[in-house]
Amino acid sequence: MSLAPDEELMLDVRNGAGERLGVLFDRYQAPLYNFYAKLTGDRALSEDLVQEVFLRILKYSRSYQPGTPFRAWIYQIARNARVDHYRKTPKHITFEPEMAPPVKPKDEAQRSQEAELLHRALMQMPEAKREILVLSRFQELKYEEIARLLDCELGTVKTRIHRAIQELRQIFRQLESGAAGSPTTATAQAIPPRRAGT
Amino acid sequence: MNCEQIAELLPDYLQDTLSGEKKELVGLHLAQCAECRDEVAVWKKLTLLPIEQPSAESRLRFEAMLHAYLEGRERTGPGLERERHVGTGSFWPWLRTPVGALAWSAALLVIGIFAGNFWGNRTAHNTTSQDEMAQMHQELTNMRQLVVLSMLQQQSASERLQGVSWSRGEEHLDPQITAALLRTLRYDASVDVRLAALDALSKHASQPQVRRGVLEALQPEQSPLVQVALIDQLVEWRDRDAAQHLRNLEQTPNLNPAVKQRAEWAVSKLN
Repeated sequence: MSLAPDEELMLDVRNGAGERLGVLFDRYQAPLYNFYAKLTGDRALSEDLVQEVFLRILKYSRSYQPGTPFRAWIYQIARNARVDHYRKTPKHITFEPEMAPPVKPKDEAQRSQEAELLHRALMQMPEAKREILVLSRFQELKYEEIARLLDCELGTVKTRIHRAIQELRQIFRQLESGAAGSPTTATAQAIPPRRAGT
Repeated sequence: MNCEQIAELLPDYLQDTLSGEKKELVGLHLAQCAECRDEVAVWKKLTLLPIEQPSAESRLRFEAMLHAYLEGRERTGPGLERERHVGTGSFWPWLRTPVGALAWSAALLVIGIFAGNFWGNRTAHNTTSQDEMAQMHQELTNMRQLVVLSMLQQQSASERLQGVSWSRGEEHLDPQITAALLRTLRYDASVDVRLAALDALSKHASQPQVRRGVLEALQPEQSPLVQVALIDQLVEWRDRDAAQHLRNLEQTPNLNPAVKQRAEWAVSKLN
């Protein structure tokens, strides 16, 4: 596998060596897939969006400017691809009861239950707050990178992150207390759909 | 320090980029403030969420897209590259032109004759022949799959329709093709393409994921035409799980009356 920096590979792609994109695909498909999966809760859609990102890189490779950090550039494309998708295909918010997790004794599956509740809490948050949490916690982007990506001040990013954490905590604890009383009821009220992967 | 002052430092504390003194201040506050401590705890809990892995098909789709792009660029030249849609310009549509179709058929004929001769003349080396035939068959299957997967991603609905119709030739659907057809059924923007995908999938009811995928496509579907087709298909399969889904569908607000009527009819047939 090539150890060349992302920027060098992207310049090669820009200059006509399209096959070099394969290395970038191997480096970024999993992080991007995770980004989309945690934002949308939809695995099949996440895979489609990853493909769309790399298609756009090929289409718009000439707009990549030497010196631009590739990671910032690809996340910008990724954000745009998601926005465009939802513009064309509005979200269907339905609840699919069969997707609810099986009810298990608390001590047996506490961690998986917590993970499930966290996922649900995340999916209940407003998109902008969810996105900033995913970018900072899972994509390991520095606050400076997020500020450039969202085109805002560094201080604004920190404030938004703190507010997002506050809201996540609030929803998570509410879900948790609901789940402790009646797991199935809490599930049915709370949760946006999450389709099984293909 | 109070919570408000800590709020300014907390994001940096979470990324562990605070200097020693400030970090200590936050630590002291957290020791006495349950609410702020809980925020940190929930942030840390986020690591419980699994890291999702893309499927193996994802790499294959990428390769098909890249291949189509590179082929197209070779034929059009770099000067035209920006004026065309990626992957739609040259190779696959060319296969559907009369010349392309002829070339494609001729290539298959040559391969067939070659394979026939090879099979007939090499009985003494039966094992080798079988291996080579199997390899050749596998390569042809792979190529067909590549074409179908690539065409299902095209921008033009008619090309995607063509992709669906190519998949009909498969007696046993490859899992990747099945997944691509189910995705088409669920997400394609064109009603015609979604209907064609359902038609292609209808012959593969023995695959549980096909039945499940068709069932799952019912609720989010917005077109009455496709909804009715899905209902009819589920009745034809006598799908045991369908009745409950159909009853859920009946409860959907603003459901098209014709779809509602069809769903009621279907429930009565399935019970």
